[in-house]
Amino acid sequence: MKKILLSVFILTVLFSCSPKQNAPVDDKTKSCCKPATDSTAKTISTNSIFILNDTFETQNNKPVQLALLQGKPTVLAMIFTHCTYACPRLAHDMISIAEQLGANRDNLNMVMVSFDSERDNPAALKKFADENKLDAEWILLHGSEQAVRTLSVLLNVQFEKDAEGNFSHSNIITVLDKNGVLKFQKEGLNAQHDETVAVIEKLLGEE
Amino acid sequence: MEKKMVLVPAGKYLPFFITKSNKPIAVDSFLMDETAVTNAEFLEFVIANKNWSRSNVNRLFADTNYLKYWASDYNIGIKNFQLINSPVVYVSWFAADAYCKWKRKRLPTVAEWELAGSALPKNIKIQSLTEYILSWYNKPNLPVLPNIKSTYCNEYGLFDMHGLVWEWTFNFNSYISSGDSRDTANDEKNLFCAAGSINVNDRKDYAAFLRFSYRGSLKGNYCIANLGFRCAKNFK
Repeated sequence: MKKILLSVFILTVLFSCSPKQNAPVDDKTKSCCKPATDSTAKTISTNSIFILNDTFETQNNKPVQLALLQGKPTVLAMIFTHCTYACPRLAHDMISIAEQLGANRDNLNMVMVSFDSERDNPAALKKFADENKLDAEWILLHGSEQAVRTLSVLLNVQFEKDAEGNFSHSNIITVLDKNGVLKFQKEGLNAQHDETVAVIEKLLGEE
Repeated sequence: MEKKMVLVPAGKYLPFFITKSNKPIAVDSFLMDETAVTNAEFLEFVIANKNWSRSNVNRLFADTNYLKYWASDYNIGIKNFQLINSPVVYVSWFAADAYCKWKRKRLPTVAEWELAGSALPKNIKIQSLTEYILSWYNKPNLPVLPNIKSTYCNEYGLFDMHGLVWEWTFNFNSYISSGDSRDTANDEKNLFCAAGSINVNDRKDYAAFLRFSYRGSLKGNYCIANLGFRCAKNFK
């Protein structure tokens, strides 16, 4: 309870916007400190990436915010589906983590966010999910350039788009706890997933 | 008073690091703030957005050095007189991004910034821009950061693109490093998509090399001396 109260307090501070102190409050100033209206926002801790309130779309065209991941630990990778060399491998790494977790798989979110705001629309992500036989439990996200860049900055994932619309990017798998707090990151492809899986299992054990 | 923005005409930018395609990136015309954002301007933002004050800011978005030279949350302090028209520094990427959004602008991309910064000075004589920049890098920091418009104005009408502060860009985290402190046993190719082809386009441009390395060493919540920003906007 203490924790909840603290979170509410911190959120109040974070989103507090006292117009009375500044005479002209136009739309400009308001847009920057709009209070979170989503009920889930009340329990977001300050070091949670769920604090980002950008809207993404799933492969099923459903608009969501990252806070939807709240309640379960999350395994997340940033990818793009047109990538011919490393990206499917990063996706395969995600898939093998899911396989290694077995039945525990259902107690967490497996998420892939695309860098490619232009081409990886929900339909393209759906196609990618089908091709890689990802079941409906997987969450594939499309976001605006701004939303994707902000997330990448927060997760320290580097990426760059070249003139042909392809991306160079770091290959990082991130584990978040059920509150969206970053717990673990593993860089590199074909890495041993034992450590990642151990972190996830520990998080699941803490439930 | 609204900050003056100047038009940077459309152009091409050849990425400093060679990419797979290694084609120049077309940059559309855009508007850019004439100068870096000043302490006075940033103070207005903080007053209007209390969640960006020093004591309220989320650590995910700004480290403990955020605005550390200000006297308090809403007070620049005794150096106020000298600093009011100097670029704001010790601001994170998230803070710079939020400021630009508040102004209904955005941070310039690396391509935009580099295109804008490549224009030559029009009010001072220099041998070459690279040498000018390198001599700036060599100078020790002054005790008080000079005011905006204290260096040079370039052909586009932009002030202090080099010589005053480093500036945040929207996609600063696009530099692909070789995974410096990381597991060296790992093949670089496994760390980065297309990493095998990393190389630079102009080996002579040491100033650019330093600038890109610097960007690559940053994280979004870092607040550092000599690192400020200016905003940009699409030109319709």
